[in-house]
Amino acid sequence: MRLKFSGVVAGALGLAVALAGCGSTSNVSSTTAAAPSGAANVSFGSANQKLCSSSVNTTPNYKNTIGTVSGGASAISGAGSTFAAPMYSDWASAYDKASGVAVAYASIGSGGGVAAIQAETLNFGDSDSGMTPADISAAKGGPILQIPLLLGAVVPTYNLPGIPAGLKFTGNVLGEIFAGKITNWDDPALKALNPGVKLPNMPIAVAHRSDGSGTTNIFTNYLTQTSPTWVSKLGGPSKSTGLTVAWPVGIGGKGNEGVSAVVGQTKGALGYLESDYAISEHLTYGQVENKSGNFIEPCIPSIIPAVDGVTFPPSLNTFLTNGSNANVYPIVGTTYALVYEHQTSRAIAAGLVNFFSWVLSTGQNSNASLYYAPLGSSLQALALAQLKKITVNGQPVAS
Amino acid sequence: MLAPPRADPTEQVLQSRGGDDGQSGRHVKDVAMTVLLAVVMLATLAVLGWVLVYVAAQGLKYLGPTFFTQNPPGNPSQAGGGFENGIIGSLIIVGMATLFSVPIGVAAAVAIIEYGGRFAAATGFVADVLVGLPSIVIGAFVYVLWVTRFGFSGVAGSIALAIIMLPLIVRATAEMLRLVPVALREAAASLGISRARTIVSVVLPSARAGITTGVMLAVARAMGETAPLLLTALGNQLFVVTNPTKPISTLSLEIFNNAITGFQAAQARAWAGALTLILIVLILFVAARLIGWRLAVTRS
Repeated sequence: MRLKFSGVVAGALGLAVALAGCGSTSNVSSTTAAAPSGAANVSFGSANQKLCSSSVNTTPNYKNTIGTVSGGASAISGAGSTFAAPMYSDWASAYDKASGVAVAYASIGSGGGVAAIQAETLNFGDSDSGMTPADISAAKGGPILQIPLLLGAVVPTYNLPGIPAGLKFTGNVLGEIFAGKITNWDDPALKALNPGVKLPNMPIAVAHRSDGSGTTNIFTNYLTQTSPTWVSKLGGPSKSTGLTVAWPVGIGGKGNEGVSAVVGQTKGALGYLESDYAISEHLTYGQVENKSGNFIEPCIPSIIPAVDGVTFPPSLNTFLTNGSNANVYPIVGTTYALVYEHQTSRAIAAGLVNFFSWVLSTGQNSNASLYYAPLGSSLQALALAQLKKITVNGQPVAS
Repeated sequence: MLAPPRADPTEQVLQSRGGDDGQSGRHVKDVAMTVLLAVVMLATLAVLGWVLVYVAAQGLKYLGPTFFTQNPPGNPSQAGGGFENGIIGSLIIVGMATLFSVPIGVAAAVAIIEYGGRFAAATGFVADVLVGLPSIVIGAFVYVLWVTRFGFSGVAGSIALAIIMLPLIVRATAEMLRLVPVALREAAASLGISRARTIVSVVLPSARAGITTGVMLAVARAMGETAPLLLTALGNQLFVVTNPTKPISTLSLEIFNNAITGFQAAQARAWAGALTLILIVLILFVAARLIGWRLAVTRS
């Protein structure tokens, strides 16, 4: 109880920060309008252009092997990840039209999503980092199933007037910036990566999340794998990755919404955002070096290979960062719906099974419209198998 | 009629003896203070006017009839949609909060003023302290006591708002009851009417107009509250919900959710929502004044 309460207070403090940040919301339009989204692709280079325009199947039409279970509730509610929130909204609208069932989703951050399911305050939670065994043992209602729903990229987003999208970053340079070692845009390390780009003599305004965030977890996991500076500055790999870390520099924003507002309003800012937030707000974002040494633009064809060669544990909870494919964008993550394995209400259980089996089949076809990628057939099958474990009074809900 | 003191000849003499310097000095002070106060007053009005005009200008860019009949779009970066879910949710949650808080608040004020005693004095003190309590604290309180047991819901939101409204209603009602002349109560007592009957039939009707105004002020305050609702009602960004046991959105939550995004379309909706909120509060204030005025007239 005490833990949850402190989470609430932390959330409340985050709110205050976010509220302070939105006092001058009218400025956003003037700064973001200047970002040349049309010229963006030019600077990503021809290799990336070829990769990102390559045809991939974004409407996989996955089969729903569960089908609709009768007796589902007409309304279910959940909350969590802001990373996946735009997709949830889109799914919920389409699912409402298709089935008449209203799925309410509140974008409160992955930390909040974990707290909500642990305390049983909602029917489902959602977190981009999933839950650790310790998280699950702290839940009131027993074992929790983690169901991956989509693939998405976390992109380094910057606000540099006159500099188009496509600046090159390596994991170590990002790590040194977020550790406070590189503090200016005309740093030799950035110049060496981006010959021919006139980087301004301007301090880097680091923007990060102020709330417990799965986006932070994905991003810091990538930094931990690629940047020794980041790891040593934070005091070891156990402290340098997580939903929240002790940021050495920068200003916090609540949710992807908050960070995107900070980056949009601050000249010289560098933050990390789920790609839909960066693209929808016409913010400029960079390309990042992957394990094979290629600089890759985040786009659906470069996100899909992130599951290649990944062995999923029985909980399905694992990182997808720094993939082994030569053409993969390195900062990719998924989001996990969190539901209790042993449900108490048959109507709610059937409602959850119906919604998530729809998301994992028909719903996957719309992922690409918001710059997320579908799961890929092998992970989709594993996710559906998780749903089949849901029981009420010991009886499985889905046959 | 008695002559006003200024017409007294001796005083005129005294004034003239005081010399022209003193008089013009006082005159200068008088003018200076008048100007200063006028400037302060204009500055206060200007700030209020600036806020209203700015919100109206931003809000009117997007506000239209469909704003009241549509829900926000699935993807917050998309243009279009409205806050029907929030407007209906606000009316439900604030309506329930009013139902919870008015009977308790008025009863507490009656106990404080009409009956008194140590317990009543303590109640008054607690109400005064509650007024100063930050609303987020009340939200966290309801979260721990209610939401962790029964989940996020409109009911939890209205409990939080009722706790915020309660001390405002207690104070406003108590002030109004104090203004009811003791002679009225004595007159009732002299006719052999019981104390309880006096309160119900004489004291409360006399204070009706003031109590109504106080309740409306509390309602207006509750309409704008956001922080406690984030921890209790949670919100529902896509659907109109009328079942108070489910998470419900309110106008204030919709404004918050749309304003914190960097999306221009969402911010346009937030401005329109802010203007709608001001209009609703304005309507409540005007209604409160009209009711107060009519009740006052019919009383006499």
